Amino acid sequence: MDVRGDPSDPEVVARVLGGDAEAFGLVIRRHEAGLVRFATRMLGSRDAAVDAVAESFMRAYRHLASCRDPARLRTWLYRIVANRCKSHLARRPIADVPLDDAPPVADPADSEGALERAEQVAIVERALAQLSPEKREAFVLKHVEGLSYQEMAAVTGERIPTLKMRVHRAREALLRVLEDHA
Amino acid sequence: MNPIDSRIHQALDGEIARDALPPALRRTVERLEAAAGLLAAAAPVPGLEARVMAVIRQPAPSRTWRVVRWLATPHTVMVRIRPAWSLALAAVLVLLALFPLGDRGPMLGEHEGIAQFVGRFPGARSVHVVGSFNDWRTGTIALEDRDHDGVWRGVVVLPAGTYEYMFVVDGELWVPDHLAERQVADNFGRENSIVIVRAVRR
Repeated sequence: MDVRGDPSDPEVVARVLGGDAEAFGLVIRRHEAGLVRFATRMLGSRDAAVDAVAESFMRAYRHLASCRDPARLRTWLYRIVANRCKSHLARRPIADVPLDDAPPVADPADSEGALERAEQVAIVERALAQLSPEKREAFVLKHVEGLSYQEMAAVTGERIPTLKMRVHRAREALLRVLEDHA
Repeated sequence: MNPIDSRIHQALDGEIARDALPPALRRTVERLEAAAGLLAAAAPVPGLEARVMAVIRQPAPSRTWRVVRWLATPHTVMVRIRPAWSLALAAVLVLLALFPLGDRGPMLGEHEGIAQFVGRFPGARSVHVVGSFNDWRTGTIALEDRDHDGVWRGVVVLPAGTYEYMFVVDGELWVPDHLAERQVADNFGRENSIVIVRAVRR
């Protein structure tokens, strides 16, 4: 139980494994936003990302008993989503909706500042889409999802030096694109 | 791709304090963090929880149904293999193709033996062997003349015992095997050949 009174991930997992399937809704509410964000950055399509995350949650529910360390449920869920994204990318090498063709839609009522921000987001998304899936995954897990290298290793199954190298290369590529648009 | 100053990576990885960076490098760090921050917007997905929970609330399909569904669903198989292992695997496959393990002749039961049939029939289009072992049915056991020298050969695994037989040439001409161990008169005024099959393993 945390300070707000919400049950911790291990407590929720125990409840679900004890037969309270409805408790899994708490797992979804707690982690869906980050997982969908991660999958969207990986797949370049929010619709495909939502499908991937939904399938991942179903898989997680079915195999919840195999989650060895419920205290690290978040990392375990990211691993399932990452694998689902890789399968998706292997079947479909090109994004469903290339980000080049799908700039963020700005509401006409948006301020000039919001439009500028939307343009900046589009630039970064395009730069991200140009990275290999491995580098994109490493950068997003590190800098967008805020995972440590140890957690990234648990998610991806890669060694920490490999992940560091991928993050470094991704930073360099992104920086180059950002400088081109400066 | 031009590498950037390693101190930028160190600062972003939390290995050094960014206050220790020169102002230009600090601006680069902040720029990368700002770019990542642009990607960090996240919002719950309306309906995702309901969609997943609706599936979870359904009764679990039977194991048989899950197996059937798994077999009928296309799957992506990702294989990551080192080039050295790829070459080793290719070498093994080549060796197996050149020297197949399974080509060691017919498998024999405890009371079975091998009957070899050989006949010289130059110009024949087909030669079969018929006998008491196949109820004198034609067309079931064919001999072969692989090198087209007119000598037809065949091997049949049979239970140990004594059998009468004849050759059938081109589907119509019945002739005895003059090289057989013995001949025996049949009830039609002709002679059948005799082959004695001995069990290989006793």
